[in-house]
Amino acid sequence: MSDIADGQDHQLDPRVIRLRQVTGSILLVGIAVWSLAGLLIGMLMGDSLSGAARIGLLLLWAVLTGLGAWHAFRWPARTYSRTFYRVDEQGIEIRRGVYWRVVINVPKSRVQHIDVTQGPIERRFALGTLVVHTAGTDHANVALDGLEHGRALAIRKHLLPSGAGDAV
Amino acid sequence: MPSEQRLHPATLVFDLARHARNFALPAVLLIFGISGFGGGPGGMFGGIPEGWEGWLLVLFVPAAAVSVFRYLTFRLRYDEREFVIRWGLLFRHERHIPYARIQNVDAVQNVFHRLFSVVEVRVETGGGEEEEARLSVLPRAAFDEIRSRVFSSRHAHVEQPAHAVPPAHPEPPVLSAQPELLHLDLRDLLLFGFIQNKGMVVIGAAFGAGWESGLLDRLVGRYFADDSLGRGFFRDLFRAIFGDGPLPVAPLWMALAGIAAFLVVVRIVSMGWALMRFYDFRLTRVDEDLRTEYGLITRVSAMVPIRRVQTINIRTGLLHRWLDRASVRVETAGGAGGGSAAHAREWLAPLIRVEALPRLLQQVLPGFDYGAVAWQSVHPRAFRRAMKPVLVVLTVLTSLLATASGWVALAVLVVLLPWLTLSTRKYVQHLGWVEGEEVVLMKSGWIWRQVTVARINKIQVVSMHQSPFDRRAAMARVKVDTARAGEFSHRIDIPYLDQRVAQQLADRLSTAAANTAFRW
Repeated sequence: MSDIADGQDHQLDPRVIRLRQVTGSILLVGIAVWSLAGLLIGMLMGDSLSGAARIGLLLLWAVLTGLGAWHAFRWPARTYSRTFYRVDEQGIEIRRGVYWRVVINVPKSRVQHIDVTQGPIERRFALGTLVVHTAGTDHANVALDGLEHGRALAIRKHLLPSGAGDAV
Repeated sequence: MPSEQRLHPATLVFDLARHARNFALPAVLLIFGISGFGGGPGGMFGGIPEGWEGWLLVLFVPAAAVSVFRYLTFRLRYDEREFVIRWGLLFRHERHIPYARIQNVDAVQNVFHRLFSVVEVRVETGGGEEEEARLSVLPRAAFDEIRSRVFSSRHAHVEQPAHAVPPAHPEPPVLSAQPELLHLDLRDLLLFGFIQNKGMVVIGAAFGAGWESGLLDRLVGRYFADDSLGRGFFRDLFRAIFGDGPLPVAPLWMALAGIAAFLVVVRIVSMGWALMRFYDFRLTRVDEDLRTEYGLITRVSAMVPIRRVQTINIRTGLLHRWLDRASVRVETAGGAGGGSAAHAREWLAPLIRVEALPRLLQQVLPGFDYGAVAWQSVHPRAFRRAMKPVLVVLTVLTSLLATASGWVALAVLVVLLPWLTLSTRKYVQHLGWVEGEEVVLMKSGWIWRQVTVARINKIQVVSMHQSPFDRRAAMARVKVDTARAGEFSHRIDIPYLDQRVAQQLADRLSTAAANTAFRW
């Protein structure tokens, strides 16, 4: 029918790697700055710490921040390479997870309504997030981020009931 | 493209009023805090009095700004088959709600709404807990428009298939000819109470009430004033156990007899509870509904529309199995015009003979023979896979204990290891699943066993999960999600399947689900 429902496994838009690196870095910078501020204030107020302990704490902060930075930089590519989705006449299937893997299958006939959202950074990259709502319990909503915005809209169009005959 | 509408400008007034109300209480508390405990600058909120209005503004202004932005960016429009709402400036959301999926359109109009002649409209579909769209506030005419669009499309799109699929109730006259499906007589009720063992709950409640009213103190003072079972007894007991004094034989017997008597009393209380609660339990079929009626003092009458049954849960304990009985409950969900109270868990049969079970289940699932179910077991290496995390946790636990208390920790290991091995073995042995034409079943549990039957046309989402441990063992877990399952209810969640079996099962289930229509 529509070319979206080709039944092929697709990867996300590759720009999602960059996007997640950016959002990850923003989060990391936030955490790093706040924790450093807390650490410095704590050190200035309390004088019971020895010089070595102070240096040790700062080193620990640097190491943790470094690890966080490494993670923020490397992880998006790993999740990207492990995320696939497939749209066909039957519905949508999402496969993801680097260590803990999950395959989620939402039949088209169970879709209640669909959101497409776009945050400010996503808009920079022309990406969007598709959120499929079902009547389920654990999977009351299934989100797929990192789709090209137009593609997210096309998938939404495909998944929503298109006519009277579709309800059966 | 159809033209877009905005919310009524009065939205701003209502939103700001809502925020003001939310901040009013803390503000009042703050003022009271200052005046009540103040007594000068060193009061309870010593530093705050000077600028507390400012602090409130810090919280209020962003909330108000969000409201303004939401109002300015909120748009709604009616597409041919969908209702579309759009909001957000930085994070832009666009939600498409097909008319065919809308269950309910509610309007709320309080006094203030009437003043502006506006309404707050809530649009609900089956998804999620909250309403899908809260349109606060719209002019009255807009509500009528939404409603007419939803209902006209519903007649066009939904009612047709509903008429086109009459096999949902093939031969109602035959079915209504067998009204009473189950009746619990006195013996069954007492048995049910004995098995269920709700006595502690009742006693606990009575204890609480007694405590509150002060009755308990007097009772305790009267019967336990003498020291026969007091501290002296336990001291003597410990001495005897550690070989340092004579065993306090007489008090020991008294204590054991007391415990035994207590357990008996608990069971008896439980039987009384069952008698009160489920007295004259009747399950009848009224056309397409099952109706239960029970209760001695409060007579409860519950309707279970058969087509709303999502899952059936069959539970058996040790006593059940000795007596060849089972307990059956159903979970229902949905129903147009009732989004909030849509989930329910109802007794279908508190106690039923196992041989009568297939007949009962056929009421809900015509053509399904529970007696002929051929259970499939999980992967042959499931036990090894299941034992690994147990061993890891046990090792960590023992070594932690060992560092704290030395060699005594080994005793924990000696006791726990055989028990956990046995229970894991039994758990894995009793796991099972079956896939039928219209249903999928899963059983689990060793002492308390549960079977859950889910209808394929009620499956919402099928998922397959694989942890790193699963992947090493080439196994996977298949979960079936149904509408609004209870937090703690037994669900279809089959672990330790062979990877390929799991893959095929998930594929078949989702295909089967996709090929059936989901109707509430």
